[in-house]
Amino acid sequence: MESVQKAVMPEVMMEIFKRTMPFQVVSDVMRRRIAALGWQVSYQAGAVLYDAGDKADDIYIVVSGKIEHALEPGVNARRPLQILGAGDVFGWAALLNTYPARLAKAVCIEPAEVIRINGDELLRLLESDPDAGDVVMSRFATMITRDYTVPDLIAQLRGIHRKLHSGDIQGMNLTLYRLSRWLKSPRPLLMLIGFTLFVAFWYLSVEVWKLPRFRELPGITTVFTEWISKDPVYGLSIYTPEYYQHIGMSVWRVTQAFFLATVIGVPFGLFLGWSKKFKEYAFPVFELLRPIPVLAWVPLAIVMFVATESAVIYLTFLASFFATALNTMLGVESIDESYTRAANCLGASKWQVFRHVIVPGSLPFIFTGLQISVGVAWFSLVAAEMVSGQYGLGYVINTSYTMVRYPTIVIGMITLGAVGYITSAMVRIAGDYLMRWRVRELALGGQS
Amino acid sequence: MSGPAQGQTRGAIKIDDVVKIYDPDGAAVMAVDHCSLDIEAGEICMIVGPSGCGKTTLLNAIAGFHEISSGSITLDGEVLCSAAKPKAKPGSDRIVVFQNGALFPWKTNLENVAFGPLMQGRSGKAEVTEKALGMMADAGLAGVEHNYPGEVSSGVRRRVEIVRALMNNPKVLLLDEPYRALDSLTKSVMHEALLEIYYKNKVTIFFITHDLEEAIFLGHKVAIMTTRPCKPKKILTVDIPHPRDYSVLTSKRFRELIQETSEAVHEEALKAFQAGEKEG
Repeated sequence: MESVQKAVMPEVMMEIFKRTMPFQVVSDVMRRRIAALGWQVSYQAGAVLYDAGDKADDIYIVVSGKIEHALEPGVNARRPLQILGAGDVFGWAALLNTYPARLAKAVCIEPAEVIRINGDELLRLLESDPDAGDVVMSRFATMITRDYTVPDLIAQLRGIHRKLHSGDIQGMNLTLYRLSRWLKSPRPLLMLIGFTLFVAFWYLSVEVWKLPRFRELPGITTVFTEWISKDPVYGLSIYTPEYYQHIGMSVWRVTQAFFLATVIGVPFGLFLGWSKKFKEYAFPVFELLRPIPVLAWVPLAIVMFVATESAVIYLTFLASFFATALNTMLGVESIDESYTRAANCLGASKWQVFRHVIVPGSLPFIFTGLQISVGVAWFSLVAAEMVSGQYGLGYVINTSYTMVRYPTIVIGMITLGAVGYITSAMVRIAGDYLMRWRVRELALGGQS
Repeated sequence: MSGPAQGQTRGAIKIDDVVKIYDPDGAAVMAVDHCSLDIEAGEICMIVGPSGCGKTTLLNAIAGFHEISSGSITLDGEVLCSAAKPKAKPGSDRIVVFQNGALFPWKTNLENVAFGPLMQGRSGKAEVTEKALGMMADAGLAGVEHNYPGEVSSGVRRRVEIVRALMNNPKVLLLDEPYRALDSLTKSVMHEALLEIYYKNKVTIFFITHDLEEAIFLGHKVAIMTTRPCKPKKILTVDIPHPRDYSVLTSKRFRELIQETSEAVHEEALKAFQAGEKEG
């Protein structure tokens, strides 16, 4: 009806925003941006601003005057009728997901000045700054519950609120998210340059400059022609089934050793960290055995295990176990005492504290341990496969040495490196999946 | 109503002649010195003192994290700890809100809020979840239920933590400088939110702070503590009626109360500072 539109007066808006429930807590910069969306309108007494069922487009903030706000019976307000004055916000139906229509009738009962802001534009602005948007929307939620006495509508606001968060990044999505960030960064290029330099150095030092000490090594062209040859000189290339048998055997052994190291090492480490008494017993022995290299264990392993296969797995397992157990223990010890205290306050039993605080709290360290563990498993494998009679990448390297097949040694080495890298990445992905809370935190922090 | 909730019967704490002596390496250090303090049921009692004055020691004794050396602390007439039983058993009737926050970062906000009742096995998961959702909505936390604590602002985290405590229907909330790390703008919002929650759920609040304005704004009673060893130096009853809002901060009475007490606080801060210099 009789409404007069006026020029925007940002300073007036800024002042009034400081008194409104949803906007009073945001920064001045954000308030100014919100103010930039608004315009001021005057209404005469008796003017109907909108009626229930009208399209909900703008939200309103009262600058002066009085507005009668009557919620329709359908929304179950405890106090449907409100008289609104300066600083009050209404017309928030424009921010609800499933209510494109007005839920109330708003009538001007005293000549009033109001600020109108388009709901969609406001939401877009809030989405562009999720931190401020989060605060504003939760203040809207409080206001609708408290001032308008319609808690039921919170559920409708929730949708808006949720989408303000910078993505519900979860599990595998997170890995993809990281990957896409990685691809967009300059890092893949740097990686490529690194590889190029390495290959170039190999080629130049061995085949072109024939540097002392390097000239005896197998050159890159020899190695790669052998590797992709259908009829390899030394009997091993990507076309020979043996190549895959060796890889398969090594992967299988590492898998078993890694699995054992995890199922024994993680609980062992958890108990070391959890029980001071257990640590007193076990840790000194643990620390005594930990520095002993795998090679030193070889003779005893052969004596202990009749079957060579068990001996190989035992040797591969050892270093992994130590890495896993040690990191798990450090993980438990890293947990802030407040968490266990809080759990005690909340009535958790000792076992529940272990299950809900100790285990998840040490997961970041456990997964660091597992990544190290899978790495050292491959590391130990070469030593372990010296024991074994046949198959395995370590075995390939050892026998090629005795039989003077240098290009095959390098093929074995590179394959070992590549497979090791892949298994390490797999552990990392599994870690991302189990520690969604942590990676979502990191992703939001702009790190990866 | 200027005193705490009338008709409130739960949550009266009586601290009676409590002494706490730490004994690191044989050199006894007295942290709490014959401290006595009565906190009425449903009262907001603010404990003010400089950092490191021993007020947290008192809180830890009530919560059951630390032993006391002598004296006794009772809650509603029941002995929590005494010379015979120096360490109270932590329980869901007294819940601590920690200085740096102790929401479990690996659980969503909703899982955090539901944690207490689920651990105590008092009711089924569906029921607890429903109650948790309701309480979060009431506290203006709708929308962050399925986020992890690390994804929301520190102000929101504090509110979630208080709701997590209230889910257990505690007699006492023990707050250890919970708003210390917040900027003053967020802090003022948090004060308003805390009072809002307090008016809805009458509990006794034992609130540690070093901020005198915060203490007088929120508290029914303000106990100004001496610095190490810690005991009440001055106990002030704040006669500004509840419910309070931010207009209190500019009121004449508020300014008067600040003036009355700031000298005592300053004196202790100075003492703490000088003691610190000597040690350093």
